[in-house]
Amino acid sequence: MERTTGHDRALTVLGMESSCDDTAAAVLRHEPGTAPVILANVVMGQAALHAPFGGVVPELAARAHAEKMDLAVEQALAGAGLSLGDLDLVAVTAGPGLIGGVLAGVMCAKGIAMGAGLPLVGVNHLAGHALTPRLTDGAGFPYLMLLVSGGHCQFLLVEGPDRFTRLGGTIDDAPGEAFDKTAKLLGLEQPGGPAVEREAARGDAARFRFPRPLLDRPGCDMSFSGLKTALIRSRDQVMAGRGGLTRQDRADLCAGFQAAVADVLAEKSRRALAECTARGLRPTAFAVAGGVAANQALRLRLTEVAGDVPFLAPPLRLCTDNGAMIAWAGLERFRAGGTDGMDLAARPRWPLDRQSPSLIGSGRKGPKA
Amino acid sequence: MATLLAFDTSGAHCAAAVLRDGLVLSARREEMAKGQAERLMPLIAETLEDAGLALDGLDAIAVGTGPGNFTGIRLSVAAARGLSLSLGIPAIGVSVLEAMAEGGPRPALAVLDARRGAVYVQGFGTGLLAEPAMVADPAELPAALPRIGEGPDARAAALPLAEAIARVAAGRLDRAPQRPAPLYIRPADAAPPRDPAPVILE
Repeated sequence: MERTTGHDRALTVLGMESSCDDTAAAVLRHEPGTAPVILANVVMGQAALHAPFGGVVPELAARAHAEKMDLAVEQALAGAGLSLGDLDLVAVTAGPGLIGGVLAGVMCAKGIAMGAGLPLVGVNHLAGHALTPRLTDGAGFPYLMLLVSGGHCQFLLVEGPDRFTRLGGTIDDAPGEAFDKTAKLLGLEQPGGPAVEREAARGDAARFRFPRPLLDRPGCDMSFSGLKTALIRSRDQVMAGRGGLTRQDRADLCAGFQAAVADVLAEKSRRALAECTARGLRPTAFAVAGGVAANQALRLRLTEVAGDVPFLAPPLRLCTDNGAMIAWAGLERFRAGGTDGMDLAARPRWPLDRQSPSLIGSGRKGPKA
Repeated sequence: MATLLAFDTSGAHCAAAVLRDGLVLSARREEMAKGQAERLMPLIAETLEDAGLALDGLDAIAVGTGPGNFTGIRLSVAAARGLSLSLGIPAIGVSVLEAMAEGGPRPALAVLDARRGAVYVQGFGTGLLAEPAMVADPAELPAALPRIGEGPDARAAALPLAEAIARVAAGRLDRAPQRPAPLYIRPADAAPPRDPAPVILE
């Protein structure tokens, strides 16, 4: 295809995302030298679908994605006032994530690209998050990224559209997962992040002292699974005494839990920034993304840690899963000459940083993230 | 004159066919236990090329909706919906059981292995008012009815699967199009959490 010569022109991109529990499609336009414009950003969430199960059920998610993705795309095109003929590119999340959902998105994208005669670009979901500060704030390389969501938690040094170095990450659960589990254990609604934050705001963080895992060890790796165990123990002690939890008990447990997560993320962020300096780099920004970045208490702590380095927190709708970030990451890849064929594979595991040793899942299927 | 492209990945295969006015212009089928997601679109392109057609020469997409492998039926349905959107033509979902019975005897039961000792089954022309697709114990199927599909006493389907899907869909071109949806029959394995929520004292 003779498209390589036009990569520096204005491009209009469709971005599609279905790696977890949001079916999302967005249309984005970018003219070199100007800020990108999001023309439409449709997110069809599945929170109500998974709420009774206390977590995302992969098969239910996949079923919903398969019957919603084309609708999301139609809505996005209508919202942008464009037709497929006005597009230059179709970008789709090709992993990592829940494979059934990723596949539904990838196959719908292939059908669209093939029928419309458009190039197809498979995007790493994590690259979508990690490049968002460039979409929202035009961040220049290098910058430090904390990606913190229900499925991921890692520090990434971003030095180019395809140059990511993981400085550290969780060795077990992601914080968003821990927030959800905490909500479940305390009888709060899902998703747990907003519920736990709301309760924590009126709780006493000093009443329960939860562990700060791995703070005693050097480096930027984290662990959050032990927090859950500690929370269960404290909850059960209180309940054994009086047969249940008062609302104040619950608020105090939430406050103690959130303080522990914030302490760990703040201290590890400080170390990640120090690691940049040790490598002789001056990051242009310290940015966060992922659903947990919506937590205001956490944001406040991270702002303090950032010090002189500008702290970037994209607006919430671009922090959580969305199609605009996939459109943007796809556009960056396309401008660098990357496209995929109709044999594009969906990948449940797909680490951004191909050099650093894996933290989770180093088995037959390869590293998870 | 109507030209349809049909495809199916409901089992350990990737199959496609192009049908024009009742005539099969081309058909391809490859057996594979995995890799259908990577192979489907190239196989479609090759099948169209065999027929001497481009995508804009199609009037409708026909897709096998299962029952079958959940992932397999989803990926074909998702691709069909994407093609329908980009080509501006209808996508018609066809049950694999119905496709298996197409061109076969009546009355008959279309039977497909559903694993865990069960079968997916649907009756055709049995004289019963409702003939829904369902999961059943093969031992409890009425012995008098001829079976089409899989199992010890079943005869093979009369037509190759993709061709049969195309033929069933061709008979529905004049109906108001409904977006294809997978025919799972079985619900998703999902159980509510076991540990009860704590009692909240007022």
